[in-house]
Amino acid sequence: MTVESLAKLDGMTPLVLCEPEREIDGVYIGDLLSWVMGNASSGDAWITIMSNINILAVASLSDVSTIVLAEGVALEEAVIATAKEKGINIISSELSTFETAVLLSHFL
Amino acid sequence: MKEISLNILDIAENSVKAGATLTEISVLEENDTITLVIKDNGSGMTDEVLKTVTNPFYTTRTTRKVGMGLPLLKLEAEMTEGSLTVESKHISEYPNNHGTVVTAVFYKNHIDCTPLGDVVSTMTTLIQGHPDIDFLFVHKTESVEVCLDTREIREVLEGVPLDTYEVIKWIKEFLNEQYIN
Repeated sequence: MTVESLAKLDGMTPLVLCEPEREIDGVYIGDLLSWVMGNASSGDAWITIMSNINILAVASLSDVSTIVLAEGVALEEAVIATAKEKGINIISSELSTFETAVLLSHFL
Repeated sequence: MKEISLNILDIAENSVKAGATLTEISVLEENDTITLVIKDNGSGMTDEVLKTVTNPFYTTRTTRKVGMGLPLLKLEAEMTEGSLTVESKHISEYPNNHGTVVTAVFYKNHIDCTPLGDVVSTMTTLIQGHPDIDFLFVHKTESVEVCLDTREIREVLEGVPLDTYEVIKWIKEFLNEQYIN
């Protein structure tokens, strides 16, 4: 499925959609950024609860298709602005990390 | 990172890349804090560069557009309510006393504080990877004070490279023994 179609599902809110047509090839879940950097694969939707600006660099390095910010975690405006500038998709999810992953599993 | 010792390895590599001939690593554990200081005599950074080092999209590498060593260390220190400071003197302005000092403070009782990890392996990895440059390592806790100075070892060895298997093995044992005492 594409990032845009994920963003349209119940409980999902698009925060930054720079590349809406980007295909989601898999899912990676993690909050320890250094670990995510080494283990997430290109094209993954990355589910995290971390909201520091460093998540954008990690997303960019690992070339994930989108960040999915789970559990309704809020993002600072400055982070949103940088994501737009760097072309990084971010979707906010009201669901828990587990429920977000379960939802995604139906489309993979 | 999973352990603070991995951050040490990462930051010390920056010192090596900055051309340091001596990198001083100190880990001071007192009360509820761990203070990590990595000080080098490398080329240092200009004020302009210094302002951007904790920005994850800045790097000294040319192969990618983001550098994560200092941004991650800052995040991890701040996650424990601690802090990160970076001071630097660039070689262009300070030809005789240039270098960089990175200081990170962690509150070890904070639930998000990662363990210190295997600092002995960090030191042997650094020495093995860069046998021609010097490291001074000091780790003080309430019960032990561990010290390793490669300049002293180098003097005794009289030309034997520090990355020789027996030397690395000896360094590992020398450090481990100090933790037992």
